[in-house]
Amino acid sequence: MHALKIQNIEKIYGKVKVLKGIDLEIQPGQFLILVGPSGCGKSTLLNMIAGLEPVSNGNIFIGDRDVTHLDPKDRDIAMVFQSYALYPNMTVRQNIEFGLTIRKTEKSEQKKIVEKVSKLLQIESLLDRKPKQLSGGQRQRVAMGRALARDPSIFLFDEPLSNLDAKLRVEMRGEIKELHQREGTTIVYVTHDQIEAMTLGDVIAVMKDGEIQQFGPPQEIYDNPRNQFIASFMGSPSMNFIPCQAEKVDGDMPTMQITLESGNEKVKVPIKQNIKGLEAYAGKSVILGIRPEQITQQGEEKPDSAMLNCDVELIEPTGPDTLVTVRINGVKTVCRIHPTAESKVDKLMPLLLDMSKVVFFDPDTQERVY
Amino acid sequence: MNIKRVLIYSILSFAALIYLLPLVVMVITSLKDLDEIRSGTLLSMPQALNFDSWDKAWGSACTGVTCEGLKGYFWNSVLIVVPAVIISTVIGALNGYVLTKWKFRGSTLFFGMLLIGTMIPFQVVLLPMARMLGFLGLAGTTSGLIMVHIIYGLAFTTLFFRNYYISIPSELVNAARIDGAGFWMIFHRIILPLSIPIIVVSVIWQFTQIWNDFLFGVVYSSGDSQPITVALNNLVNTSTGVKEYNVDMAAAIIAALPTLFVYIVAGKYFVKGLTAGAVKG
Repeated sequence: MHALKIQNIEKIYGKVKVLKGIDLEIQPGQFLILVGPSGCGKSTLLNMIAGLEPVSNGNIFIGDRDVTHLDPKDRDIAMVFQSYALYPNMTVRQNIEFGLTIRKTEKSEQKKIVEKVSKLLQIESLLDRKPKQLSGGQRQRVAMGRALARDPSIFLFDEPLSNLDAKLRVEMRGEIKELHQREGTTIVYVTHDQIEAMTLGDVIAVMKDGEIQQFGPPQEIYDNPRNQFIASFMGSPSMNFIPCQAEKVDGDMPTMQITLESGNEKVKVPIKQNIKGLEAYAGKSVILGIRPEQITQQGEEKPDSAMLNCDVELIEPTGPDTLVTVRINGVKTVCRIHPTAESKVDKLMPLLLDMSKVVFFDPDTQERVY
Repeated sequence: MNIKRVLIYSILSFAALIYLLPLVVMVITSLKDLDEIRSGTLLSMPQALNFDSWDKAWGSACTGVTCEGLKGYFWNSVLIVVPAVIISTVIGALNGYVLTKWKFRGSTLFFGMLLIGTMIPFQVVLLPMARMLGFLGLAGTTSGLIMVHIIYGLAFTTLFFRNYYISIPSELVNAARIDGAGFWMIFHRIILPLSIPIIVVSVIWQFTQIWNDFLFGVVYSSGDSQPITVALNNLVNTSTGVKEYNVDMAAAIIAALPTLFVYIVAGKYFVKGLTAGAVKG
């Protein structure tokens, strides 16, 4: 039984198609992330689920009810907004009670709910304050409290953390995840921050230009991006894309190899992964996608790895590891190495490329080569 | 206090003095009797506080053929101003609310057309409005005049409220909709409590406009239902031999007092409201 089902949803403003046929489905208790660059249609989609924007084509189901044309108030949803949207003229308590009062919940029941919610979010001491007397993090909590009080079947979050400073954002992110685990709520969460997407989501829908590019669990999207856009969007620093020449090798396995060049060294690296589609690129150029953490300092030799002496161009220590920029096949390539590994700008550094998880993309279509 | 400060304050004081002078002359003159006015200069002080001319202006001065002072006309004006201000402000608030939070197809065009309404001079609408009042059977009545003021003021009040509400985030309205509130509930519970400064602006503006209006008053009302501005004009123009400058001055002050009062009471909100939303943060 699905909690939310979206069927071929379209949004058309005049002649512009903002959403081009979105399909997705989540189960009760799942945490769905809609992620993508600004203008990809993720907030529009969320507003359509909320009923704040009319649907041009398609259907939305919450549970087994078709809510496509229902008012927001009849959809059994609650929403947390980017600007929190607390009613400035009401106290925190009145903010939480507002929705309950409208729905004619009994006074005694209201009191119980406010107590429960404020305890859950640790805002008991703030109940009689006005929103303008609260800090950003407290406002965020109250906004969540207001949503929780209603006990809806789906929670909608519209970039709720983007107005907070970096430290508080990480803190609140943890709290949202904890809340989700404890209460088992169904959540649809919009963000443009891929780290939020990775850390919070059970499933992620990566969107671009009004379409879902890929839909799946975070790790799956991280490890197996379907095209170059997804690969570059998810992960920070993002995946390196190195154009290289592919060649056919005689023999059984491996059948393909690519050429990598750095400094004045040139190596031919055999591709041991079983990627059938790669054979079509024999004698042609192909894009190698390799994540920074897959290029490390020399160490234990792994079964499927390649060694390359690279000219170091830039060193950025981050603490837990150091980002080293080198040039491979003429493009800047970021590697994540251990902080104790020796590296110096303008010096050669031997680096180990883990080829077991690399991916390939077509240089023209930017689609993944399987 | 440096030399620049001194310079600024002296210029400001001088300007204030110039602006205050007419009022001072009016007050002084209204407290003198006619002999004093004739023998003294414009700025010479009255010998005693003498409120006779105020009494006369209020209760017994002649405005045309009747000689009952401004009293009745003062209340006429109140009767016109109060409903006209309230109604035009309420409708303006509703218009602003709809034009910013419940946009409809063509709402921008609608607002643009309303804006033109703020640029139409009184004189242009005189004849068509007279025809319409006649058609509605409201010619020469107080309710007719009230209606004219409401319609003419709507363009302004709508502009005020629309520009104020545009700075209230739409997410507030969306949050309330999801909470289950409807059009009126959101207006009443969320929007109105945030509107105090702009309500004050609208009330002051409309009050001043309508109280001080002469043209609509003289054209669309007659006899006993005329507003105080028209009566003041009649009072000053009615002469029985001698020109009673002291009574004229007293009458003019009486006619101006309510607007003065409104500015003093609510003036600081006026500036606050006019500049609200102009600068972010």
